[in-house]
Parts: sequence; C-alpha cells; structure tokens
Amino acid sequence: MGVGNWQLGVVVLAAAVLVPVFPRPGEGQAYRAPRTAAGQPDLNGFWQALNTAQWDLEAHEAAPGPVLQLGAAYAVPPGQGVVMDGPIPYRADALAMKKKYAADALREDAEIKCYLPGVPRMMYMPYPVQIVQGDSTIMMMSEFASAIRTIYMNGNDPPPADTWMGWSNGKWDGDTLVIDSKGFMGGTISALDGEGTIHVRFLDRAGNYHTDGLHVVERIRRTGPDHLLYQATIEDPNVYTRPWTISMPLYRRLEPNMQLGEFKCEEFVGDLIFGKYQKGPAR
Amino acid sequence: MTRRSLVVAILLVCSVLSIVAQERSSSYKVPRTRDGQPDLQGYWTNLTYTPFERPKALANKPFYTEQEAIEAFNKAVADAQNQAVHYVNTDFGATPVQTGAKPNRRTSLVIDPADGRVPALTPAAEKREAARIAADRAGGPLARTWRDDRGTVWCVFHDRAVPSIVAPYGSNYHIVQSKDWIVLTYEWNSERRIIPLDGRPHGPSSVRTYAGDARGHWEGDTLVVEATNFSPKRNFFGSNGTFTLVDRFTRVADDTIVHTYTVEDPATWTRPLTVELPMHGIKGPMLEYACNENNEDIFTTLRNARLEEQGKLPPPDRVKNVDDAKTTVLEREEKK
Repeated sequence: MGVGNWQLGVVVLAAAVLVPVFPRPGEGQAYRAPRTAAGQPDLNGFWQALNTAQWDLEAHEAAPGPVLQLGAAYAVPPGQGVVMDGPIPYRADALAMKKKYAADALREDAEIKCYLPGVPRMMYMPYPVQIVQGDSTIMMMSEFASAIRTIYMNGNDPPPADTWMGWSNGKWDGDTLVIDSKGFMGGTISALDGEGTIHVRFLDRAGNYHTDGLHVVERIRRTGPDHLLYQATIEDPNVYTRPWTISMPLYRRLEPNMQLGEFKCEEFVGDLIFGKYQKGPAR
Repeated sequence: MTRRSLVVAILLVCSVLSIVAQERSSSYKVPRTRDGQPDLQGYWTNLTYTPFERPKALANKPFYTEQEAIEAFNKAVADAQNQAVHYVNTDFGATPVQTGAKPNRRTSLVIDPADGRVPALTPAAEKREAARIAADRAGGPLARTWRDDRGTVWCVFHDRAVPSIVAPYGSNYHIVQSKDWIVLTYEWNSERRIIPLDGRPHGPSSVRTYAGDARGHWEGDTLVVEATNFSPKRNFFGSNGTFTLVDRFTRVADDTIVHTYTVEDPATWTRPLTVELPMHGIKGPMLEYACNENNEDIFTTLRNARLEEQGKLPPPDRVKNVDDAKTTVLEREEKK
C-alpha cells in the first residue's frame, strides 16, 4: 500500500523543518560534546554547509545561471531555504533595492570580486571552514579568499574599526557558543574606481543583502561527533523590519588529510576588475 | 620637551631595560597551554631596525656591544623621524619603534653565512635571474597589467610573509594554538599559516602554493615548521619556489620569541641561508588587512600608465610643504 501524496508531503515537510532542530537519536539536545583541555565543548575541525544557502537563503526553484556559456554547470540548484521565520522581513524600499542588486549581481556581489565574504555568509559558502580553538581566542577560517574571523572569548570590547569580517565577541551559553558580531563594512570605500566598487554586501548570490548596520548573533552547538547546528540571527535596521534567523547543520569534513587549500582568488579576478586599464601581456 | 620627544624617550628607556631579554635565560620556564604544549599564543612583532643583510662597513662584526646596539637603535629611530616626506611616520604607528621594535645586538638578521649576507647564486641561477631581469626591463617602465605591480600593493600574496623578511611596518603576528594546529596570522595582507602538528606527511608535490605546504612538530620547547611545495611564481632572492624552509620558534621570555629559519635551494644558492628574527610581544588586537577591497593603488598605477602612454598624465600631486608634512598630529594639535 502506497502513501498518498499529501502524506508524503507532510513527511517531507516535517523532515525539512525538523531535521536541523531535532537531529537523529544519539545526537541533538542529549548529545554531550567532547571537551577541550580547557573544559569547553570541542568545536575544532573542518566544517562545511551542504545546502543551497549560498545560492539563495530563501526557498527557491531551480533556475538558469547568469552566464550563458556556463550552462548547467552554473545553474541554480533548487532549495528549501534556511530562513526559520521567513520570508526575510525587508522594508519596502529595501526589497526594491534587493531586486535591483540581484539583477546586477555580477557587478555587486563581493564573491565575484574575491572580496572578503563577511558574516554569516562565510559559514555557508561552498568552502570548508576550519575552527582552531584557543582558550581566549577562537579562529574560524574559510578557504575562500583566505577569510579569517577572530572570536574574542569573554570580551565586551566594541569594534575598534569597521571591517569586512566584523568584530566578534564570543561566550559559552552552556554547550552553545554564542557570538555577537558588529562593526561591519557596508561596501567599498567611495574613492575606489567604479570597476572595484560594491555598494552593499550580499548574503547570498540571490542579492539578499545587508549594510553597515548589520548585527549578527550566532549560536553554534555540536549536536554529534560530525555535526554542528549553526544558527544566526541577522539584524540591520537599514534593511529589515525585524531580526530574522537562519538555521542549518554544518558537517565535518572527515578526510584524514583535510586541510584548507590556498585559494588566493585575487589572482583570478585581477583581469576582470582592472581589465579596462590593462594593455597586452604582463611586463 | 615636546610630547613627541617624551614618548620617544620613554620608548628608549623601555628598550634599554629589555635588550637583555633577547638572550635566553636558562632559568626561564616556557608557559604551557592546557594541552601541555609550549605556549606561543598572543600578539608579536618582528619589526626591527636591524638590516636583513650586514652592512659592508660591519663585515667582521656580527655583534654590537650592548651600548653600541642601543646607540644604533637610537640613531635608526631618529633617522626614521626625520624622513617624512609623503607619509607622516610619527602619526600612524608606521615606524617600528611605535609598534614595539627593540635594540638587537646582531648587526644583521642573516646569521649564516658568517658574513651576514645572502649566499652567492650558483652560475645557473645567475643566468636565470639575469634573463628574468632583462625580460622585465624589455617591457618598459610602465605597468601593463596588475601582474606587473608586484610590490606592496599586490594583494595576491605578501612576499615578505613566508619566509619572513621584516616589512617596514605592519610586520605583526597573532598566534593561536589548539592541540593539533597552530595558526600564525601575519598582519600584512592577513597572510596566514595554518600548520598541522599531528605528524601528517606533506601534501602532493603537484600542489604548489605561495605560502608553501607547512608541517609542524615540537622539539622540546621549540616549534619546528618544515615547508615545501612553494609556488614557482615566488621569487625569494632568486629562488623560484624550489626552496625548502625550516622555521624554529622558541619562547625565551614572556615577551620574546626567537624565530630562526633556514632556507635551502641547491638550484639557486651555493649554500643554505639562516636568519634570526626576535619577535617581541605587543598589545593586540590585529585587524584585517583587506588589501583587495581597498586596492586604489593598482587602479591609479594602471590608469596613469595608460595616460602617460598618451602623453596625458597630469602633474603629480606633490606634497607642497615638506616642513608641514614633517609636523606630527600631536604638534599640530599643540599649535592650535
């Protein structure tokens, strides 16, 4: 006897909604993470998202990519979305800007220009993130653009300056690492040539964006030997009417020889950004 | 006494007190991480006024006396104060003394060969370098593409980061350790070395990188890092990435790590090269460099090169009053 379509729908929907919140038996709320020598939950290792958040944080259908020649290789895979309380609560004017930026993504998206990916985007790009857990400082490092986040544990210092990756203060709430980040750059400096300029920061390739008003609170908890539950609450009064939250598992990269490769993408975008002022082969 | 000279005087007094700390006291007990490893964590600078290669005038003098070291240091600080034409060095932490450089009894950072200089190129390497320089000159003085500006505005990789050649400023490190990894982040271009300590073998030699493939282990209190598989796009004193590098980091005082490294490349030099760099503790934090995101310089360089070709380059925007450029923000504030 087969299950009806609606029953299957309920099961699929339940799985999609519940899996990140209620992981499999042996994991989840009851799971006790191994400890570092300092007695903290051990988050060391290589972690990576396995979803389509990088393409679009919200639920989306499959779609052709922006570059005709790349065909199916750069087409958009479909996804259920990672926004818990969606849709993203854009202000009306900001939603109009989102559509404009999305249409101009090849020019506006920092990823295209190999600019630092920011937070939370670094955490769900299709590149591994390595966590190295010191006692007073936790390093989170992406393979993409050699991006680095320094998490200052038990600190309350305000950002000394605005940066692309922001200023992150961390603390343990039980077994959950809570990171409060602000002090983000909103775009490139105004003096930069138009070819290098971007006006806002994309959270994904779909043009969802933030400005320098961004404030992110992340909650990261180990839910199993090889899983983290990653949640980020995103606030930016310039763009959204209220804070909103994304949630997803991050998976451990288990290869025994795993290490972050050197992905110096500046090298791959120089001709794209500076091309109009270039001439002939390098000297 | 102006406020600036007071600041400099205070820095000098501190320097006198701390010069001795560069020598390792046999009683110093290196602090441990909770994993029991020697603790190298924190913020450090290797900024220095000691030249990389020994000046010819000091050919047979590898060490200053303590008094000479302090005098040489004071002279270097004074010289740095007096050469502000474009940058106002005293304002922005742009001189090593402001960041934490200290006197060094060594007269050069190169400690082997004994003459304190980079070893001679082999005949084959000499030919190779001559050909490279000739090809570079044949292209003319103007940058054609971003690849031609391989200097401080080249955001792909900061060539001074690995192997360490002290930069004029921003030559600072942040070190974080876990049991199996140690991360050394270098301020300039936010270059990072993420070094496994778990005994794994090197990666495949077909994967070559700017920063090299590094593997670390502890020998007593010393972190030893062996790196290979450097990119052929590197040029380290004539070696195109065919060198191997062994770094050794030893904490000799709470505020000092002695960093030595040896570079070897029989295809380039007649013998290995060893360098010693004291790293002094500094106050953090260290912010991101974001070189690519702010790279106005390459735009200006390339745009001006094209304009110059067309005879359309506007007159350079020169500093109008050198004396004014030399005054510091502090002095300008005092005048107000």
